[in-house]
Amino acid sequence: MNALLTQVRREFWEHRALWIVPVVIAALMLLAAAAFGRIQLDLGEPGIHVDGPTPKSLVEMLVLGWELPFLLAAAVQGTGYLIDCLYGERRDRSILFWRSMPVSDASTVLMKLLTGLVLVPLGAFVIGAAVSLAGSVILLLRNHDLVLNGQHVMALWNMLSWLRMQGIVFYGLLAALLWYAPFAAYLMLASVWARRSPYIWAVAPPLLLLILEHMIFGSNYVGRILGGQFHEFLHLAYRLDEYSAFDARGTVRAPRSGGDFDISFTMHLLSPGHLLASLRLWIGLLAAAAMTALTIRVRRYRDET
Amino acid sequence: MATIIEAKNLSKRYGSFVALDDVSFSVQPGRIVGLIGRNGAGKTTALKTILGLTTYQGNVQVLGIEPARDRNALMSQVCFIADAAVLPRWLSVAHALDYVAGVHPRFDRKRAEQVLAATDIRRSSRIGELSKGMITQLHLALILAIDARLLVLDEPTLGLDLIYRRQFYDTLLNDYIDQERTILLTTHQVEEVENLLTDVLFIDRGRVVLDAAVDDLATRFQQLTVAPQHLEQARALNPFYTRELFGRTIMLYENLPADRLDGLGELRTPGIADLFVAKMQVDAAPVAASQGASAQGASP
Repeated sequence: MNALLTQVRREFWEHRALWIVPVVIAALMLLAAAAFGRIQLDLGEPGIHVDGPTPKSLVEMLVLGWELPFLLAAAVQGTGYLIDCLYGERRDRSILFWRSMPVSDASTVLMKLLTGLVLVPLGAFVIGAAVSLAGSVILLLRNHDLVLNGQHVMALWNMLSWLRMQGIVFYGLLAALLWYAPFAAYLMLASVWARRSPYIWAVAPPLLLLILEHMIFGSNYVGRILGGQFHEFLHLAYRLDEYSAFDARGTVRAPRSGGDFDISFTMHLLSPGHLLASLRLWIGLLAAAAMTALTIRVRRYRDET
Repeated sequence: MATIIEAKNLSKRYGSFVALDDVSFSVQPGRIVGLIGRNGAGKTTALKTILGLTTYQGNVQVLGIEPARDRNALMSQVCFIADAAVLPRWLSVAHALDYVAGVHPRFDRKRAEQVLAATDIRRSSRIGELSKGMITQLHLALILAIDARLLVLDEPTLGLDLIYRRQFYDTLLNDYIDQERTILLTTHQVEEVENLLTDVLFIDRGRVVLDAAVDDLATRFQQLTVAPQHLEQARALNPFYTRELFGRTIMLYENLPADRLDGLGELRTPGIADLFVAKMQVDAAPVAASQGASAQGASP
């Protein structure tokens, strides 16, 4: 256990940006909220009144706004990390040091996959949640005398809906991880395979396949498998169809019930059964497992000379 | 204790290049074996097979383990320094200690700290900030604090200045006296390890050309500085190597009783460096090689 923990810590020592970037984003956001968080309606009097419709899910929207930057940063950073992690150790030849330790190639590869695929997004979620709580409190306090649509702004805050929102985001994160696993495994394979520039290996083969397919068959199966996966996953993981302005095919449809697209963030939104019943998810996970096994094999048997 | 390394009929090719050509040797516990050869002779390939870092044909057992099969089990008992400065530059000294302490069950952190205390290396430094000599010191401090049964060193002092090289081998020797450990090291700077080794293994173009205990060299090899008047007589005794130096002729003999050379000149046991040069020259000349010093296979 201690050995595994050390392996993970080692990844964050090497890729310091993985924890520095979220911490910096958090600090900047909280500072900005404290400095500029006062809503300037310029109506003069304390006890400001704003009329018009209030989104019923103001808190949820707020929470999502706080957390999205962290999740997006984690997606970018996790991807960059996965592409570099098995290439960097060969670039600086430190692989000979790592391999002189009693750490198996399987455990090395799996810990790196765990770091890039799971721990980085999970860390982003935890920091994002903390920031959304702290930031929301800062905003509310800065605007404590604001009255929206006849409702005191403090009364809009609801700890329960914050918690529920965390559940919804966390579920989405888990679903995204499952969906992203084959991509992550492919990136690691590119990383362990590349003699130089793993980024090219990460991008070029799928792109080439896409172009070749289009040129030879004029079809776009590869594109649909790669691109459609993201789209499909969202619709599997959430009951978006009932709320969204887009239907399952991504086309805009007529607004339901008189122009209000306001999503109500309840647990009803989640559809884990759908997600887990998707054949595509399981094929993706199987592909991820196969590519990871191949990655372990390549690291194990590659002759560094 | 059982044999530490047992290699039988080991071969390795890279494309058409034969790095190891049917090599057999063994290493007994507590020995310090020098694997000596020129650049590209196959030293590093031999070490890689022992460490399970490459595929090969033939049979290798290290501590009773087949390296290619169970590298993990092997690495908890075997340490190696692949060459100077492969420690990752971004790692700090303190984290290097944390890491090895975390993953290695046989690492004694206190011991590593003791060795480090004798150096100028600061805990907070990143390895990239250290000089090459200091990096090697750090690596050695880490490795020596591991209670391993076999220590493999591949050109550990390459690119270091004389002071660091001397310190390296001194530290190694002092630590070695403490524990019953086996060391296998490669170098092409033979003179540096001459007094350290208990056994030598000369390797050239993928073949073992000499496998001997240092203590046996005196009975097996003679170096004769020939008196000018006995030149013909000395030549008739089939030296496997002849060298002219400052107008004097030096001849090397193998498996020739010393008394047969009595009176022909000044007689002594050749140093390992001299022997190495001689063996390499012989090996380079196939005709001479067939006379005296054919490639030796497994030692008994």
